[in-house]
Amino acid sequence: MRFLLATVVKDLIRRRRDPIALLLWTGIPLAIGGLIFLAFGGDDAGPSGRLLVADQDHTVLSALLTGAYQQGPLAEIIEVEVVELEEGHERIDAGEASGLLIIPEGFSAAVLESEPFEISLVRNPAQRIVPGIIEESLSLVVESTFYLQRLFGEPLDVIVGTQPDDANVVPDSTVASVSVAFDQIVDRTRPYLFPPVIELETTSPGGDEEGFDFARLFFPSMLFMALLFMAQGLSEDIWRERSQGTLRRVIATPQRVATFLVGKLLAGAMLMLVVIGLGLIAGRWVFGIELHGLPMALVWTTFAGMMLLAMMVLVQLFASSERTGNILTGAAIFPLAMLGGSFFPFEAMPDWLASVGRYTPNGWALTKLNQVFAGELPALDLLQSIAAVALVIVVFVWLSMRRIRGRFAHS
Amino acid sequence: MIEVAQLRKEYGDLVAVGGVSFTAETGAIFGLLGPNGAGKTTTIGCISGLLEPTAGTVRVRGHDVVREGTRAKASLGVVPQEIALYEDLSAGENVRFWGQAYGLGGSKLRARMTDVLEITGLLDRADDRVDQFSGGMKRRLNFACGIVHEPQVLLLDEPTVGVDPQSRVRLLDLVREQANQGVCVLYTTHYMEEAQSMCDRLAIIDHGHIIAQGSLEELQAQMGERDLVRVSGSFDENDLRRVFSRDEDVEVVTVDDAQATLSVRQASSKLPTLLAALTRADSEVRDITVSQPSLESLFIKLTGKELRE
Repeated sequence: MRFLLATVVKDLIRRRRDPIALLLWTGIPLAIGGLIFLAFGGDDAGPSGRLLVADQDHTVLSALLTGAYQQGPLAEIIEVEVVELEEGHERIDAGEASGLLIIPEGFSAAVLESEPFEISLVRNPAQRIVPGIIEESLSLVVESTFYLQRLFGEPLDVIVGTQPDDANVVPDSTVASVSVAFDQIVDRTRPYLFPPVIELETTSPGGDEEGFDFARLFFPSMLFMALLFMAQGLSEDIWRERSQGTLRRVIATPQRVATFLVGKLLAGAMLMLVVIGLGLIAGRWVFGIELHGLPMALVWTTFAGMMLLAMMVLVQLFASSERTGNILTGAAIFPLAMLGGSFFPFEAMPDWLASVGRYTPNGWALTKLNQVFAGELPALDLLQSIAAVALVIVVFVWLSMRRIRGRFAHS
Repeated sequence: MIEVAQLRKEYGDLVAVGGVSFTAETGAIFGLLGPNGAGKTTTIGCISGLLEPTAGTVRVRGHDVVREGTRAKASLGVVPQEIALYEDLSAGENVRFWGQAYGLGGSKLRARMTDVLEITGLLDRADDRVDQFSGGMKRRLNFACGIVHEPQVLLLDEPTVGVDPQSRVRLLDLVREQANQGVCVLYTTHYMEEAQSMCDRLAIIDHGHIIAQGSLEELQAQMGERDLVRVSGSFDENDLRRVFSRDEDVEVVTVDDAQATLSVRQASSKLPTLLAALTRADSEVRDITVSQPSLESLFIKLTGKELRE
């Protein structure tokens, strides 16, 4: 036990004196994760843009048209700014807005008299999404204006055609007749409007699940990518032990090689514990990712990392040289990362590939971690999984020990 | 003590050690002298439990290293030929780790750490990292790590290779001190002078076989009063052997076209006779060297080659 502890302490001290390696193992996945996160929607802010409106009609209806963009969800995307026509063209040419809506004089009159009329939208060619939204919503507004005119054309005509008296007040008789007209129209259309005869039900796969959270989806993958890199980097140390003669010296002591190996694995696991712990804290409290069962996740990830480390050490031991060992482990971790959901989440993979990937060691462990995060893995199941991982570690250590005693230390 | 009986180690068809037997006593230095590749390190490897013998037995203080490995190893201290240290740890951390590997702990470990660092002259550098040390300092630390647990049997595999003269003297003093304290020391080297000055008993090993063993006096006696005479020139082997075949004072050890090695009783007084005989054998003599009896001359006599070949 004393030697086990001594080996752990010795390796931790050595690691502490090589912080660059530790930073690289954790920094690379963070960098890759960050890039993917940014590239595929890490930014929560939606698209936004500016719509310039050159209103040459200056009427209630033209104001209503531009007002449509200043209400509801569109207001969150599009900022409307009224400009003169010339200024609008200049700013669109300079790329300062997503679109320029031109409402020529005579718009209201044409609408009320049901005459054809043309309004113009100039799109910013350098942008795609926001001008598209503006165009689609404008076509809806124009269509709505047509139906509005069909339904309320008569009273609207009265409103527009009424001349206020000297006190700039619309006569009471006019207001009353318009009100009655509106009321009668609403009464006639009530059976169709309240409630609507057509209902639109919106559903998304997964029932009541929360909306798509890319960070939540990619975060566990990033953790496992860090574990894979750490496992590969830490496994190289077995070659250092051999080349500096310390492995042979250990074999000459009364201690078991297995104790030494387990000590090295435990030291690696403790480093993983710290790195993953910091990762979980950052994920939960700095980036606000919704994660459940953090202590269970930490324990599970550490065990899984130890298993990956034991596997990488075994691969190193079967290599003929340190260089070959690094090539072999490198050749192992990249397919494992790609296939096992550590590079791209399973949810972003084709179903058949994801189902294959879940059978890789890291893919299997990642699936369990996702279940822990989602609060879907009972404690008993987790314990069984940990026992399975521990068994695999024992097998790897036994094989490694045989390999070290058989050939590795002496060749 | 170390008892090695008929030790054999094979790697496939290669016989690294072929039936070596010797006994190293307590409180004495037993030297294993031989050229590089003779089988010294393999023998040490089998004794330290690093290698499993193909045949034969090795006992350390009565414990078989194969069957009772843990017990045998517990009393062993090993100073390997290569510097086996953690370069990214300090001298003190290295000594502590290797002490813990032999079960030391607490105040005893701390006391031993101070002792061994002091006797190796590294106490004031205890907190410095090993990768900042010179080669000689690393050698001394390598030795310190091998004796931190006060072993009763000490295996030293060419501990002075690549060491500066000052560190070498210091290391050799330390080894002698260990033997004086009652430790059984097995010392391998290919430096003849070191073996002659250090070892109480010696075994000369070549090609995995011990070709001679005993005390220095016993080994020198095998040479008798004979000197070693090396002659350079051109020779005909048959003529040379024929000329000296009836001379009991001269023995032809080796001969080739350009060099002959002769074992000659009281060579200095017989040089004129030797030169005359060489002339009779149609030899052309360009250079002649006479060496007093030594381990090296014994090695040449036994193997027909120089120790450093």
